[in-house]
Amino acid sequence: MLLANRGFVNDAHSAASGKGMPGVRVLGTSIACESTVAADIESGIDAVFDDIVAALTKPLTDEEKSPQIKTEKPPRIAFTGNYTEVNRFYYRKGWSDGLPITPPSPDAVAEMMQGTDLPANHVVAKIIPRMGKATIEKIAVNAVMAGALPTHMPVLVAAVEAITDAKTRFDTFEVSTGSWAPFLLINGPIRKEIHINCSSGALSPGNIANAAIGRALGLIVKNIGGARKGIEDMGTLGNPAKYTLVLGENEEESPWQPLHVDFGFSKKESTVTVFFPNRYAQTIPAQTNAQGVADSLAGMGPGSLSCLIVIPDHARILSSEGWSKKQVKDFIIKNAHSRNRRGGLLSDEDFIVVVAGGPGVWMGLLQSAGGFGNSFVTKKIEVPSNWDTLTGKYKNLVPSYVRY
Amino acid sequence: MRKFMIIAGAAVFTVAAAHAPSGAFFAEEGADGQYEVLSPWAEVDPIPLRGISPRVETLAGKKIGLFANFKRAARPIQAAVEKRLKERFPDSETSLFDSRLPNVTETETENKDKFAAWAKEMDAVVAAVGD
Repeated sequence: MLLANRGFVNDAHSAASGKGMPGVRVLGTSIACESTVAADIESGIDAVFDDIVAALTKPLTDEEKSPQIKTEKPPRIAFTGNYTEVNRFYYRKGWSDGLPITPPSPDAVAEMMQGTDLPANHVVAKIIPRMGKATIEKIAVNAVMAGALPTHMPVLVAAVEAITDAKTRFDTFEVSTGSWAPFLLINGPIRKEIHINCSSGALSPGNIANAAIGRALGLIVKNIGGARKGIEDMGTLGNPAKYTLVLGENEEESPWQPLHVDFGFSKKESTVTVFFPNRYAQTIPAQTNAQGVADSLAGMGPGSLSCLIVIPDHARILSSEGWSKKQVKDFIIKNAHSRNRRGGLLSDEDFIVVVAGGPGVWMGLLQSAGGFGNSFVTKKIEVPSNWDTLTGKYKNLVPSYVRY
Repeated sequence: MRKFMIIAGAAVFTVAAAHAPSGAFFAEEGADGQYEVLSPWAEVDPIPLRGISPRVETLAGKKIGLFANFKRAARPIQAAVEKRLKERFPDSETSLFDSRLPNVTETETENKDKFAAWAKEMDAVVAAVGD
């Protein structure tokens, strides 16, 4: 039998079912998570000790002895109704993220699937904890709901491949109390082809690609992976970045080679790089010369794993005074005050430096946690054979703002 | 007048068509304002299910395994459980399995065989995960 904080009982049952043992007896306690208070632990165990004994001695039910496989075949068509009815139905089913969705009609989903050459039933991955099959069609349904464009499908397919790569330790970060959010960094030509914002306010709302790709991934994790907030996703405080956290590197304004080239890809290839931060901080340098910028980057205290976001102006200042990206990283490794989760000093693999953002003086830090055998994962984005036609169809779908 | 209205009507239609979103991306509704919509909930492949181990009639005289994961509260919780087991079932025996790898399924690690051998020796097991 399993002892868990009472808020984790549902989570424990879902995890046990996912491992093929739905009958595992789970007992909720009042003991605070990760409690260091002996009195809290003692009183918590006192309160449930009789139940512990019972869980170990009470005879098994038939279902506990021989659980029956429940073959679930959800109907392809979930509902028919008007816009409001569809939205309320999806919300009540626990399938939305709280914001209105675009109804995923068969036509809309078919158009979304034009964003890949893979067939509708192709399984890109099985997503934990439920091991739901991320078929192209299911990815497309969730993408339509999020308001994504068919041109975003290649990024979503690569993102699903990336988050489910064992090296990300998605199994730790997806449902953790730490409320880690998937961060997608996009590199390569696709950024411009699908209007990923890499410049001013890139991490703020206002661009379909940055907004909808991250939102779609959140819905995919929830509806395909089965990680529902407070049921399996046990993020204690939650994280607004779970709505979306998508950034393009501002390669055009960077003096250095882009991240994906650092990772061995060609500049002409497009990639998505993933890790799971739960902290986003911004600061300004005390001095705007190269030394001042470098000091402040180190002072932000990147740990393992982290992404330092350098604005183009600061990157140019550093570069003009002879700093390569490697020299910047080496300086940070030598001078950063933080240590990685393994207790050692920072290493080159613990953090990345990317150029993004627009005019201004701020620099940013996205920080995750290391020590779980996790690392950044980069996947190549494969575009479909009709790519030029598809991007041509949506190339003018950009906001235009009137001057006032 | 009639001719003007036809031309005007055609012009309105043309303007409307020019502004209509192309393709089905915008989830075109049916003529009656109804949407037929697909389920986002994924299918899963059925996995073989296993029943849980038979229970013992009493803990008296039994060997009880105490599994603690890596979280800091897990071992103190098991210490508290052990203390009460010894009080109520003095002839019971306890054995701690201390899992130190963060957020892993023990049977999927290099400790798999060690864990399996330990579990096999136990009459009952209490697992504590520290959360």
